[in-house]
Order: sequence, then C-alpha cells, then structure tokens
Amino acid sequence: MGGTDEHVAAAPGGMPRRRLLGLGFAAGGAALAAGWGLAGPAPSLAAPSPAQDAEILGFALGLEDLQETFYRQAAASSVLPAGDLRDFVETVREHETAHASYLRTLLGAGAPAPAAFTFTTELASPESIASTAILLEDLAVRAYNGQAGNLTTAALAEAAKVVSVDARHAAWIRSIVGQPPASEPTDPGVTAADVTATLTKAGLG
Amino acid sequence: MSGLPAGFDRDGAVAETLAVAEAAASRRAFLRGAVAGATGLGALTALPEARAASRNDVAILNYALSLEELQSAFYTEAERSKALSGETGVAARTIGAVERAHVKALRKVLGRAAIRRPFFDFQGVTEDPDKFLKTAVAFEDLAVAAYKGQATLVDDPAVLAAAISIHSVEARHAAWIRYLVGTTPTVAALDEPKSKDEVLQIVRATGFIAQRPKTRSRRRPGFTG
Repeated sequence: MGGTDEHVAAAPGGMPRRRLLGLGFAAGGAALAAGWGLAGPAPSLAAPSPAQDAEILGFALGLEDLQETFYRQAAASSVLPAGDLRDFVETVREHETAHASYLRTLLGAGAPAPAAFTFTTELASPESIASTAILLEDLAVRAYNGQAGNLTTAALAEAAKVVSVDARHAAWIRSIVGQPPASEPTDPGVTAADVTATLTKAGLG
Repeated sequence: MSGLPAGFDRDGAVAETLAVAEAAASRRAFLRGAVAGATGLGALTALPEARAASRNDVAILNYALSLEELQSAFYTEAERSKALSGETGVAARTIGAVERAHVKALRKVLGRAAIRRPFFDFQGVTEDPDKFLKTAVAFEDLAVAAYKGQATLVDDPAVLAAAISIHSVEARHAAWIRYLVGTTPTVAALDEPKSKDEVLQIVRATGFIAQRPKTRSRRRPGFTG
C-alpha cells in the first residue's frame, strides 16, 4: 500500500494538506535534502507555521527592499543610458517596489523597515548595473526556491507569484547584455545562510 | 489566449483522455509504488531508495509531464524544421534541450506510472518563425502558471522542491522568448496561477494534441511524435 497515501485524506477541521504533512515531514524533508540536495541545501527549519512564514517572508522582504533600492538608485544614475537597459531598470524598479509592498502587506505590523543602503561600485557603469541586477535577481529566485518547503501553503502561494517575476527579470537582463538567458534545467534553492554569505561576499550584506 | 494560432476544437476528449490516462497511471502507481522523493531534476534521475508517491503527487507529476511533452515536442520539431535561424534558432535548441531534460527526469521518477506520450500535430507552426515565437511565448507563460497552480497542492516536499525549481526556469524561458518577440519579458509585477482545468482547456483549444500520429514522409514513414 502506498506509504504516504494516508496523508491524502482530508484532515479533520479542513487543515490544509501540506500544513498537516509539514508536521510529519519536517525531519524527512531535511534528510531528503541533505541526502540528495540538488534543489539546494534547504533543510526544513521547522514545520511550516504562520510564525515561520513571517520570518521567511521578512527575510524575502529584505531582498526585495535591497533590489528596490538598487533599481531606484540605478534609475537616478547618470551612467544609465537610454534604451533597453533603462527600460529594464525602470520597469523592474516598479516591480520590486510592488513586491516589497506586497510582502509588507502580508506581514502587517511586524514587517521590518527597509534598511538604508547606498550602492557605489555597482552603479559605476552600465555593465556593473547589469551584473549587479543579474546577481540580485538570481539570488532572489534561489532564496525563494530554497524556502518553498518551509512555507505554509498560503505563504507559498504568495511567494510563487513573486519568484517567477524575478526569474523573468534575470533572463531579461541577461538577454540585454547578450548572456545565455536560461541554460540550466533547474533553479536549485539556497539557504538563507547562503543568501547572506553571497551578499556579504558581494559587499552588499 | 492571444498569440496562439487558431485551433479548432477537437473532439473535446483531450482533457478527458488526459484525465483517464492519469487515473490509470495513478492507480498503477498506487498499486506498484511510483518513486518520488527527489529534490531536483538531477536527483530525480538519480533515484534514491524507492519512496511511494501519493496518488495526488503522481497525478501532479503526470500533469507536469504532459505539459513538458507538449513543449519538448514543439521545440524539437521546430529545431528539425530548420526554419529557425539566429537567436530564435539558438532559443529553440537551448530551451528544447531543457524541456527534453524535464521530460526525461519526470518519466524517470514516475516509472511505470507515467502517462504515455501524446501525439502532436503543430499544424505548421513549428515551420514559421513568427508563429513559432508567438506560440512559444504562450506555452512558456502557460507552463509558469500551471506549475504555480499546482505548487500548493503537492504532498511530498521533495516533489515540491523539484516543481518549484522547474517553475522558475519556465519563467526564464518565457522572458527570453518574449524578449525575442520584442514584447515586455514580464507580464506584470506578480504572476498569477492557473488551475489545471484552465490550463487543459487552453491546451485543448490549440488543437495540437492529435489523436493519432501524423506520417511525416512517404518513403520512410515516421511520426511527428
């Protein structure tokens, strides 16, 4: 008999299926990820819960705020030429503003305030603007993907609406600068620690 | 859905065919134990110890497989038509390779629970660069919405991780093709999900799912697949 089949039945009280599974699968998920981790070393923090959602989405909000800050400063930069790159920066700026606003609304009163940050070398040239955009967009996608299993279904539904747009951004800016827009079959998730490490290494954390 | 060539409503049995195939495949999976428990595409093909997949997840994986088969056949046929050149040709080859990899990985994890590959008739779309691009945009946007629509329904965390990983790759494809068409790579600040019913209805309306193979050549009959 299928081992997990009993989880398919609706739980009493109509609890969302994945929330119920999260209680039983938390450890299993970690073991799976550790053993096979191609989707990324994304061990379960704990069973999905609204409190954990708030932590994760708060972290994601930090990334969206960082992106919004970057594109706002890039748009104001004198090195940004008219054309494809400017169109990209201005459109994506609107999106990241919307993403940050969206997450703030979901988080409510507990939403962290945006950190102040001034980009410097990243805005030195059109090339550095493009490469920073690629870094930030890829990082956002992998951060969200890395947390998917740790979110409740409600939060996952919201995060899913954002992550695919960041992925579009990543392919878009690569297209503009003539890099292969999407050569890999997967977008493995990374842990929050990986995200922080990447930002620190780039001088942005 | 704009950008799709006018299809005719086939016998209307396509979605039902898919549903019947899935029900049969799911039942086989339930009885024999389809393998799940992989955290990504590579791990999907690596197949660690067998873990029974829920009937629900088998159905979702087969649904994903059906869409990947559609895309894979589309890009493969476009590449073989030799009608595409330049950046469009590069996109068809690269994205096609990825969609074929998705098909292979999904078939591997589903094992005998996998649905049979459908037959397709792309009605000349793969031989016309402009129609190809417009249809590719539609397919990729649809794939994003389809995976997004299933994400919250998956039981197994490992299957979720794989689905989420493919979901964002399809979004990259969508943006890439849109860029080639000359339209904005993004649709809006947020991408919306589509339900399985909605997706299958759109696919059915294209008329691309054929009931039987189409002979490609008289000398050495082959099938468009």
